[in-house]
Amino acid sequence: MQEEKCAHTCEMVNVDYGFVITEKCYNCDKISTYFSLESRPPLEEYREGDHFWNVMESAQSFRFDLKCTKCGKVEKFDNLMGLMMCTGCDNTCEADNLRIILEPDRTWVYVAFGFLPTEEHTQLTEEKIAILENYFNQRRKSSSSRIKIISHESVKNIATCYGEVIKDLHMLSLTPPE
Amino acid sequence: MKLQDIIDKLNLKPLTNMEERDVEGVFISDMLSDVMTSAKSGEIWLTVQTHTNIVSAANLVDVSAIIVTQGKTVPQNTIDLANRYLVIILSTPKTTFEIATEMIGIGVKNR
Ligand SMILES: [Zn+2]
Ligand SMILES: [Zn+2]
Repeated sequence: MQEEKCAHTCEMVNVDYGFVITEKCYNCDKISTYFSLESRPPLEEYREGDHFWNVMESAQSFRFDLKCTKCGKVEKFDNLMGLMMCTGCDNTCEADNLRIILEPDRTWVYVAFGFLPTEEHTQLTEEKIAILENYFNQRRKSSSSRIKIISHESVKNIATCYGEVIKDLHMLSLTPPE
Repeated sequence: MKLQDIIDKLNLKPLTNMEERDVEGVFISDMLSDVMTSAKSGEIWLTVQTHTNIVSAANLVDVSAIIVTQGKTVPQNTIDLANRYLVIILSTPKTTFEIATEMIGIGVKNR
């Protein structure tokens, strides 16, 4: 089948489980994130030029690519840091406004984040985001709801947004059995 | 199998609003990463996790419901978020293994 004609039906391939590590420079407050296969991030602060990086957080996560089961085309998603469900926290935010429009139709808004700082990492293109959205919608059985994935550029202020990227952090289970 | 049948037969306690759904299998993991990579739409998800982020993950892949096992207390903010996004959370004092065994007993099969 010719690739341009293919209405892709994708599956996840090249899944690697690892860690999304968040570091902060105490010199300039810059936040940096990256994916690591190592379970132990550097706990010691280290210097990189004028930056003094300290590990803030190491959350279990994964990376993957999508492969079309019909034409075999592979789309890489290794620049996706994670997905966040927009739950609405700022009515002057573009993501929140889209959420308000789409929720009555049972369409849930998720935000795709690339790695930080955004200007130093390649971010997902609109085309890639559309492929990702299509993949998760194809995985949904129920026709009564859908998801919409948008770029983190739609989030007005990432630092104050109440949404949380889906990752295995603080996933504790502290209640003892009765 | 209908979700309400499973609730009745396994004596599960709904913590959220309910709507009738078809259950098309069982998925067991306490990792959101596993849910995102491997849970299938329509499956019922067994976990001991109760963080609000279980709602985001469950909603993304459209599982039929979440069963929180071992009587773990589900925080009110998780329940509120689930209600907003039509995610059904059920609770049981039984272990994940006991519930999985009972599911097999009543004929729940994975696709
Ligand atoms: Zn294709
Ligand atoms: Zn710096």
